[in-house]
Amino acid sequence: MIGFLQTLIEHAPDWGRRLLPAAGETMLITISGFGVAVALAVLIEFARKSGVRGAGRAIGAYIEIVRALPVLAILYIVYFGLPGVGLTLSPFVSGTVGLGIVYSAYLAEVLRAGVDSLHRGQREAALATGMTPLQAFELIVLPQAVRVVLPPLLVSLISLLKDSSICALIAVNELTLSGRVIMSESFLPLHVFVLVGAIYFAIAWPMSLFVRWLEPRLHRGRRSAAA
Amino acid sequence: MPDIAHVLQFATPLVLAARVTIEVAAGAFVVAVLLGLFLASLRYFISSSLVRIPIAIYIEIFRNVPSLTHLFIIFFGLAYLGVRLESLAAAIIGLGLIGAAVLTEIFRAGFEAVHIGQREAALAVGMTPRAAFREIILPQTWRVTLPPLGNYAVQLVKDTSLVAAIAAPEIMFTARNLVVNTFEATLAYGIAAALYLVICIPLSRAIRRFEQRMAIPR
Repeated sequence: MIGFLQTLIEHAPDWGRRLLPAAGETMLITISGFGVAVALAVLIEFARKSGVRGAGRAIGAYIEIVRALPVLAILYIVYFGLPGVGLTLSPFVSGTVGLGIVYSAYLAEVLRAGVDSLHRGQREAALATGMTPLQAFELIVLPQAVRVVLPPLLVSLISLLKDSSICALIAVNELTLSGRVIMSESFLPLHVFVLVGAIYFAIAWPMSLFVRWLEPRLHRGRRSAAA
Repeated sequence: MPDIAHVLQFATPLVLAARVTIEVAAGAFVVAVLLGLFLASLRYFISSSLVRIPIAIYIEIFRNVPSLTHLFIIFFGLAYLGVRLESLAAAIIGLGLIGAAVLTEIFRAGFEAVHIGQREAALAVGMTPRAAFREIILPQTWRVTLPPLGNYAVQLVKDTSLVAAIAAPEIMFTARNLVVNTFEATLAYGIAAALYLVICIPLSRAIRRFEQRMAIPR
């Protein structure tokens, strides 16, 4: 145990210089993937609400298919499969698109729950009191929807951060891939991946704690309103 | 359009690999349910912080670090310490440990969902705490935990694709080998994806139907 820690501390400065930029890449691909996912999910929700014939079924099929596929399969299809039909994307872009597609299916469900949880009368009442549609959305609909949507949205973000490690397998130079490279140079797999795990934990755990702190606070006003 | 013989050449090894996928998922599911149920029950019976804190640490570490990192530590890290696990064993143990962290919380929530009066009534009629747990609490817990347990099962089938990274010969690993030999990525990964759809969509539909049957009528 002491020998383990000694070796770890000995290598930490050298490895840290390489792992910390890689952790930055991990956060970058997490945020860009999440951005794509949110954008797609909003589009899906709009399409569902648009009432276009067949939109509901097409969206249902999209969500069911995406949710039945592993992240790795989607990443491989985007990165290795799309060049077969003439579309070649860089590892980073492939990772962003792949993670975006995977999480769009989850976030669409989250948004849907948020929108559907809100009684229609809320918006109607706001309009009846003379608010403009924009005011009604901003002051009445949005604050209530955020309460429902925010915790699962943040949980998905943490989940996406963890899944971004799978991008190592399509050569995105993020934390896990850097860990693998260092492992194959140093032959110290345990040390390297304990350190890599600690870095992931240092990013994800505060977010988990924040969600846990936030959730009861979001529901406080709601409960008293129901009473 | 590729001809059928050509497609079969790809499909045959992938269908065989799907068996490994299902075996790994089934093995990990058993490990996760048993360990998760054990840890949740332990917490239920013993409220000492000596039990609570180690379990909480275990859950936090496994829920906030990617599965791949855990798999690498178990496969490469343990080998470094002299414990050489076969890749299939490492896959089942790794996914099982990761799943147990999720299921411990699910079972805990399930126990909490059973009204405390149920336990009190069981004790009042003379049952021992263990009998009350086994005969009264646990059967009611199953109904509450069934939906998240079903979601977990589908998620687990998909997560088995990660063990390709530690060379377990499941669907994704086999597909990649086919691609390395033939360069036909679209075909190989297309068939691999279709296999996951064939496994996961009926599985999640069957689970949903089973849930509806088991649901507590309102």
